[in-house]
Amino acid sequence: MTPDKLVDILNTPIPGKTRRPVSIDVKDVTISFKASGKGVFTAVKDINLSIGKGEIVCIIGHSGCGKSTLMNAISGMVKPSQGEVIVDGNRVTGPGPDRGIVFQNYSLLPWLTVYKNVYEAVDAVMPGKSAKEKAELVAENLKMVNLYQHKDKLPGQLSGGMKQRTAIARAFAINPSVLLLDEPFGALDALTKASMHIELLKLWNLDHRSKTIVMVTHDIEEAIFLSDRVVVMSDGPAATIREIVDINLPRPRNKKDIVHLPEYMDVHDRLLNLLIKNFSIEDEGVEYQP
Amino acid sequence: MKKIFSVSGALSIAYFIGSILLLLGLWSLVSAFTGQEIPGPAATWTVFYEMLQDPFYDYGPNDKGIGIQLWSSIKRVFSGFFIGSLVAIPLGLLMGASKTGMRLLNPLVQVLRPVSPLAWFPLGLLAFKASEGATVFIIAITSLWPTLINTAFGVSSIPQDFRNVGKAFGFSTWKYLTKILIPYALPHIITGLRLSIGIAWMVIVAGEMLSGGIGIGFFVWDSWNGLSLEKILSAILIIGIVGLLLDKLFNALQRFVAYEGK
Repeated sequence: MTPDKLVDILNTPIPGKTRRPVSIDVKDVTISFKASGKGVFTAVKDINLSIGKGEIVCIIGHSGCGKSTLMNAISGMVKPSQGEVIVDGNRVTGPGPDRGIVFQNYSLLPWLTVYKNVYEAVDAVMPGKSAKEKAELVAENLKMVNLYQHKDKLPGQLSGGMKQRTAIARAFAINPSVLLLDEPFGALDALTKASMHIELLKLWNLDHRSKTIVMVTHDIEEAIFLSDRVVVMSDGPAATIREIVDINLPRPRNKKDIVHLPEYMDVHDRLLNLLIKNFSIEDEGVEYQP
Repeated sequence: MKKIFSVSGALSIAYFIGSILLLLGLWSLVSAFTGQEIPGPAATWTVFYEMLQDPFYDYGPNDKGIGIQLWSSIKRVFSGFFIGSLVAIPLGLLMGASKTGMRLLNPLVQVLRPVSPLAWFPLGLLAFKASEGATVFIIAITSLWPTLINTAFGVSSIPQDFRNVGKAFGFSTWKYLTKILIPYALPHIITGLRLSIGIAWMVIVAGEMLSGGIGIGFFVWDSWNGLSLEKILSAILIIGIVGLLLDKLFNALQRFVAYEGK
């Protein structure tokens, strides 16, 4: 079977999925930066991407392909040079509380306790709420990520996984409609990473799968396990969307079981083929010498 | 159980004693070479001990105990230091936070920073019509630079990550200042204050020599006029020890506000 046919089979729509209202609409987005010398550097070019409400989408690609730049355009941290991003019907002009962000390097404020890190975000986004309501909201979100007993610790006293759970609790606490995660688990070891995936899906599930999650990653297994669709970027500069691969694995997914499903292996191969050119030294033209 | 006497603790005490002995040895040597013209440690100690017997006596304007002299110097240093910091910290925040502020103020700072405290003294006299005001003025104006520069540096070096947190969660300017910018810059500011108090303490002696009246600097000058080198050497020791204590104080403050490695 050719890879193209394979994708066609996987693209068979599942009931209900196509009727999702649009959450994020990226329209003809091109992002260029002024280069340090003269001239401009184009990071991504002519990106069109529509993401439904409650969908989990991973953006995958090689380092420097502009995945984070695209993410920053959705978050409002970076302004597109051309085109626009629409989130829930509104044009993105800057960062906003409707989009919660989890940064790659946690970005917790090291002088504030776990509790305060979440509280200050809640306080900034919901100034109308009473102190008691805000405190309850923070406590509830910290309990969801099992960090309530560590609420008085400073970020420096936490492990990487705990830091990232704090950052996720912070993003969830402001109750955004969209959650943007920029390589959130990149710095974690494989075991911690696996439990963080479950943690993230649990939170998404508890919220009736209503939050749209966009995640940048370069981990193929992670992308398949979490997402409904995987957006594969071409190499930069002027990166474009190379292909969008649907992941039609049933939910809830079991990390141990899904890897044996034929669909999983097909998708995994497809993504590997898209991302990696050479699979052994022989592909590099080097003869193996025992 | 925690050991009270650790090897490294005992060793550092031994080194401290060694360093004192080294000082006393060199001092005795210099004293011997000058034929006791510069008094040795023993002669100085006698006078020093006598001074400490009644440090707070007050026999009129030109004859006060060392405690009173020292206390008035410390008060002066802190008022000058306080005024200087009050100017330096906001200006530093401004310089660090805005490129325009940096470009506008930096040349000014670079020109005024190396000016000797003594050069400012006549201006102080002119402005305040009194030597007291002039002394506080020169302390303020010479001690504010390290705080200013360190604050500006601290603020301008804030990592993009922390700024992004403020942006992503829509922090108000006030929240950004109090929860992100100032906590981040605080260790830098305290480092600046620590350098500043050191300079302020150095300037006080020169300032009080010019202004006269009361204070440790005046005491040194007065002892020179009274030809009591023992008193001058005692005063030097006191100035050194108080300077060390001030530094330790700010060092403790520095450790208190450090957020990393807690």
